[in-house]
Amino acid sequence: MSKFLIIFIAALSVLFTVELLIPVQTHVIQPFTTGLATVSAAIITPFDENVISSGRVLRDAAGGFAVSIESGCNGVEATIVLLAGVLAFPASLRQKLIAIGLGFVAIQALNIARIISLFYLGQWNYTIFEWFHLYLWPVLIMLDVLIVFALYLRWLATRDASSVEQASGHA
Amino acid sequence: MRDIAFRQQFLTTLLLMPLTFLLWYAAGPALTYPATIVAGLALEGWLPSIVAEVFTEGTEFYVVTHFADINGSVVAANQADHDIAFKLNTRLVSYGVPFYAALLWSSRVDSLVGRFCLGLFVLWGLMAFGLVAMAAKDLMLVIGDPFLTLGSVPPMPIIGLAYQTSVLLIPSLAPVMIWLFQLRDTPLWRQLADQLESSRSSE
Repeated sequence: MSKFLIIFIAALSVLFTVELLIPVQTHVIQPFTTGLATVSAAIITPFDENVISSGRVLRDAAGGFAVSIESGCNGVEATIVLLAGVLAFPASLRQKLIAIGLGFVAIQALNIARIISLFYLGQWNYTIFEWFHLYLWPVLIMLDVLIVFALYLRWLATRDASSVEQASGHA
Repeated sequence: MRDIAFRQQFLTTLLLMPLTFLLWYAAGPALTYPATIVAGLALEGWLPSIVAEVFTEGTEFYVVTHFADINGSVVAANQADHDIAFKLNTRLVSYGVPFYAALLWSSRVDSLVGRFCLGLFVLWGLMAFGLVAMAAKDLMLVIGDPFLTLGSVPPMPIIGLAYQTSVLLIPSLAPVMIWLFQLRDTPLWRQLADQLESSRSSE
């Protein structure tokens, strides 16, 4: 278990530092964050035609309210935590890649829900927007990471058990 | 059986979170008080030539410097009739407490109060570090050279990294890590450890 923790913390430190490097921010994180704003706007537009996205900003054309998706709001840190956990836990490369791919989708799906909810909460009540933005959503996203990782461990355990059964069946 | 325990854990955590966040909000500065004391002592001890005073008002942590701003230039405070001070929101580093409480209180472990106190003690240490990192980031950006040229001050990238880690990662990740560590005597943890061992031996 201590080996898992050491690899997890080392991977977390390296990935988090790499994420903060200016070239990574410029060429990966910022375009990705812009993509999140575009996807969020695309999801909202069929229901609310006043929503427009411009770069990392999601704006209500009628009321003028806008949210800018910044570091910490793009789900990258949560993905890094999941990535570090998956890398640290022993499994095959294929299993790790599946976990990272599906985990990324699960985290970003909830993150888009976060962005859209904050966009409307901000137009309704700024105090509640601040609460959800600063305190509640970061915790819910981390809980999502925890659930994804727990599901991954269960999936690994199920596969291990079925492999043992198959081996004993063949014997 | 394991499925039920798994679902129960996370559903109970979700159900408890409104209550724990309400208690955290109602507690105001009480839950962060030890962290602000430690952060204040650390800042005054570390940077006596920069930090004049630290104090708390409600959930705001104030850092008053020996400097002032005159027409955009940073000068010694005795050359002006005011000081540069920073107001830090302590809730930004303490919102992990209600999350940790919800995780722990929804777990089937003994001596909940003892474990919670121990976890809170660790979180206070991390909160104090977070407040120092937030103050250091503000000092770096506003005071600049008088702060950065001190021998005891780390390079700018380290301050930036400490700030980002303290605000973006630690408040939500530390509760999970502490909670997992405190589960180590439980059947769930032993099962996880066994799985790690078997996976490692089959590699």
